[in-house]
Amino acid sequence: MGRVSVATTSNLTVKYGTFTALSDITLEIPEGCVGLLGPNGAGKTTLLKAFLGFLDPAAGSGTVLGLDIQASGREIRQRVGLMPEQDCHIPGMTAVGFVAFAGELAGMPSEQALRRAHEVLEYCGLGEARYRNVETYSTGMKQRIKLAQAIVHGPKLLLLDEPTNGLDPAGRVQMLDLIRSVTHGKGVNAIVSSHLLPDVERVCDHVLVLAGGKVRSSGLIKELKRLEGHPVDVELREASEEFARQVEAAGAKLLSAERSVYRIQMPGLPEETAAQVMRAAQAAGAQVRGFHVAERSLEEAFMEALGG
Amino acid sequence: MASPIADLSYRSYDGPLLPPTMRWWVVAKSVMRLAIRKKGFWVWANLSYYWFIILAAVFYFVDVLAPTLPGGANPFFSRIVWKDQFLDAFSIAQMFLFIIALLIGAGAIANDNRSNALLVYLSKPCSKLDYLFGKWMAIFLILVAITGVPTLLFFVYGLLSYRHYGFISQDPALFWRLLVMIPVPAAFHASACLGISSLFNQGRMAGATYAGIYFLSLFFTKAMVVIQIIAMDGPRGDPSRVPSIVNTLFYASVDGLQIGLAKVILQTDGGHLLSGPGGPPVPPAPNGWLFTALYLLACGGFLAIAWQRVRAVEVVRG
Repeated sequence: MGRVSVATTSNLTVKYGTFTALSDITLEIPEGCVGLLGPNGAGKTTLLKAFLGFLDPAAGSGTVLGLDIQASGREIRQRVGLMPEQDCHIPGMTAVGFVAFAGELAGMPSEQALRRAHEVLEYCGLGEARYRNVETYSTGMKQRIKLAQAIVHGPKLLLLDEPTNGLDPAGRVQMLDLIRSVTHGKGVNAIVSSHLLPDVERVCDHVLVLAGGKVRSSGLIKELKRLEGHPVDVELREASEEFARQVEAAGAKLLSAERSVYRIQMPGLPEETAAQVMRAAQAAGAQVRGFHVAERSLEEAFMEALGG
Repeated sequence: MASPIADLSYRSYDGPLLPPTMRWWVVAKSVMRLAIRKKGFWVWANLSYYWFIILAAVFYFVDVLAPTLPGGANPFFSRIVWKDQFLDAFSIAQMFLFIIALLIGAGAIANDNRSNALLVYLSKPCSKLDYLFGKWMAIFLILVAITGVPTLLFFVYGLLSYRHYGFISQDPALFWRLLVMIPVPAAFHASACLGISSLFNQGRMAGATYAGIYFLSLFFTKAMVVIQIIAMDGPRGDPSRVPSIVNTLFYASVDGLQIGLAKVILQTDGGHLLSGPGGPPVPPAPNGWLFTALYLLACGGFLAIAWQRVRAVEVVRG
């Protein structure tokens, strides 16, 4: 069954004056948690703003949750939650007042907004600090309250712009766990814009790489990381030249050898390769410690997409 | 291990959502809620109607204690122009209204600029128009209440107590004129606060700028009073000797614009009840059309500035 798109664009071009921020982009963002990757200035934030109906495209069109981004900005913003990159709050408000107000702005009746504000603040780990003025919050708490105001009205799509900005390692892990728990199995889709690849890899299933206002690559993370020809990594107890000779004699191609790890490519299925590797190891008197299908890192896939 | 007594995992909201329109009222309510929490607001709001209290006390004691001529006519009340009393109280309240406007309005947009609050407002189904109109309406409604409540209470007091001294018969349309006059300063301050506030990232800077404009223009009109007195050969001189341009420039201030319009609306030149003939000169009401146009131009100008400055996204010019 094909995946349903939560957002699409068709030949979308967005310009700021004479500067083209997005150039003729056609894409489909599937359900689930999607990472929007790209270097600074790639057009990630612009794409999010276009999805919210903030920008008038110079050309092309787009939809979010089936609604046209040019004609239905308000309806889109009612169904979407934005966690902006910058610190943002409403001065003079307590956390619970702020989140309830965000809920009311989204259209929740005031009593429900207040009740729900308490709920999401608990969920985001701010239950104890809910009556404190947001201006007194630490950076980590401000990030959490941005998430709380984005999810208060139960959006179907979350737009998270650099959600781990300014967080220490522990805070970053907590924030990513929060995002993962909201976006997996709860019916909430998310687009996570970031230039931090480990963050995206931790929470997303699918990525879209933007650079210079164009889509450079998109797909499931595991597919992007997959290498051509299904090579395998074989880890031996210790390096063995005899093992290398044996696998080459069996018709395999030795792609790399780093300490005791050999990357081998053989025609045929990985199961057949495994059998060949075991035979070669036996013949070479080498002890196999590990065997798995080789894949590149997301960083390598990203650099390749950027043409680096 | 103890388990939590409540389910703290994320649950989606499946309650009602109101149609994505009319968000300005949510914005207005929040600004009003924050404004009335300030102690200073209540202090200045209560001071703003002190002249009505003095007038009510004076009228009460004069009515009760002063000699009455045969036939029931009190000479003090017989001289009173009732709408001038409203104009006096309105004029005296202007400074207080300005201070309250600063308190509640100077940071209306500036503080949001500082804390990037626009991203919160505009990422929800709230348009720029909702945002600005909500902010404007909040300041407007508060100032209308502060001007209107004491004015209308005093009107009711006069209606109940001094009808036989011409309270209504002097100007049967007085009530309607008051209704038109009450929102004049509220609309002006609301527009000015938004326009000036939108130019800054700090409420204090916006407040200082508005205060600068207010006091410089007030100083200018005080200079016009001095020129008037010189032209008249002293405060008891002939007011007709004052050049009309000086009389017009007397109103060239934030307060003056509103007092001038109030005179036009009430159709009176005004007069001082307690200062007698030795008091400061009372310039005649200004040209109604000119002042209405200036007032609308000023309000519109400030709102245009705010409209230009409030943006959902930063614009990069290539």
